Amino acid sequence: MQKIPLNLAAADMVLARDIFKNDSPTGMPICGKGTVLSDSLISRLQQMGVQSLYVEGHPVWQEGDRCLSEQLAELEKRFSKTLDNRYNAVLLDMYRSHLTTAMGDNGGRTEE
Amino acid sequence: MDERRSDLKKIIMDTKTLPTLPGVINKLNSLSNDDKSSVQEMARIVSADQVLSARILRLANSPSYGFYRVSTISNAMILLGVNVVKSLALSSSIFEIMEKNSVGLWEHSLGTATAAGIIARKLGLPEVEEITTAGLLHDIGKVIIGLKCVEQMPEIRRKIKLDDLFISDAEKAVLDTDHAEVGGWLSKSWFLPDKLSEPIAFHHNVNSSEDHRIKTSVVHLADVLIKASGFGDSGDPYVPPIQQVAWDALKLDETLLHEMVVDLEDKLVEVKNFSLELANAAAV
Repeated sequence: MQKIPLNLAAADMVLARDIFKNDSPTGMPICGKGTVLSDSLISRLQQMGVQSLYVEGHPVWQEGDRCLSEQLAELEKRFSKTLDNRYNAVLLDMYRSHLTTAMGDNGGRTEE
Repeated sequence: MDERRSDLKKIIMDTKTLPTLPGVINKLNSLSNDDKSSVQEMARIVSADQVLSARILRLANSPSYGFYRVSTISNAMILLGVNVVKSLALSSSIFEIMEKNSVGLWEHSLGTATAAGIIARKLGLPEVEEITTAGLLHDIGKVIIGLKCVEQMPEIRRKIKLDDLFISDAEKAVLDTDHAEVGGWLSKSWFLPDKLSEPIAFHHNVNSSEDHRIKTSVVHLADVLIKASGFGDSGDPYVPPIQQVAWDALKLDETLLHEMVVDLEDKLVEVKNFSLELANAAAV
């Protein structure tokens, strides 16, 4: 999942969270999680003043972003001193699968 | 060895150069310990600090409390409770001390506070506000060591890097004490309540916590989780081991832990892509 400004949104991205009117979580939801974005939907959201949205995976890359394999390597390094602790070993597994899911299909992509 | 440590304690705790808490917190503390004091008296003290007043009114008027248009400090204090006001006052002044010194540590502290709040809510614990504040303050000892032991800092950093040490072990090797103990000393000199000073002093050694083991365990776990997620910079990159006594005190199981990880990462997405928004806003 990634939070991106609306002007970087593109067709075929999938919403990972509901979009609310005025970006306020107490406002009315205007577009549900799981919706596939289209050009017309994006321009409607622009008209409604939506600033940013959450999309599945990691579709927008910028300088300094690391691909999944780099992130996983860093994760392993962070846990390297405490793998003999059984709770930490469990926690590492959780983070490994979380990262893999969070980065989605673009996870293996390296930076261009 | 003991002599060196007590010398260091003197240097570190030299009150003349120690960051001080604003008077408003001390006054609030003494008033709230006095049964005869009224909310109106406390409100008058708070009103003297305009930034704090604004923060309190903003919180009281936030939708999460369900009331709108609370316009006086005393009404806000009745609504929020004196403890919430106190932790608000404390955390905003700590922010100022930390923000100036190290952004990475500030992020780590903020992240730990967030994680502590998530854990406390998930477990249905009382006093979530205090636990969050304890999370925010847990590494305050590092700020003090950074301020007072300028000469030894390069040696500590070198040890972490070359010997793959946890920061506490490097601090112990160089200074004969660590940030948790220093944080404990500091919280004593600031007269912080035990429910804050125990998590600060024992977040790496939950076993030593006697009266507030649950809160200490939450802060310990929050520190582990935020380091696992790689958010912020606490001085070393390594995830500390989850201690058995903390696991038992919180009655954790794998399902609960997994839910906490998901909630925390969900929350961190909002923060992590902040730079993307900034870069984009600048470009527009």
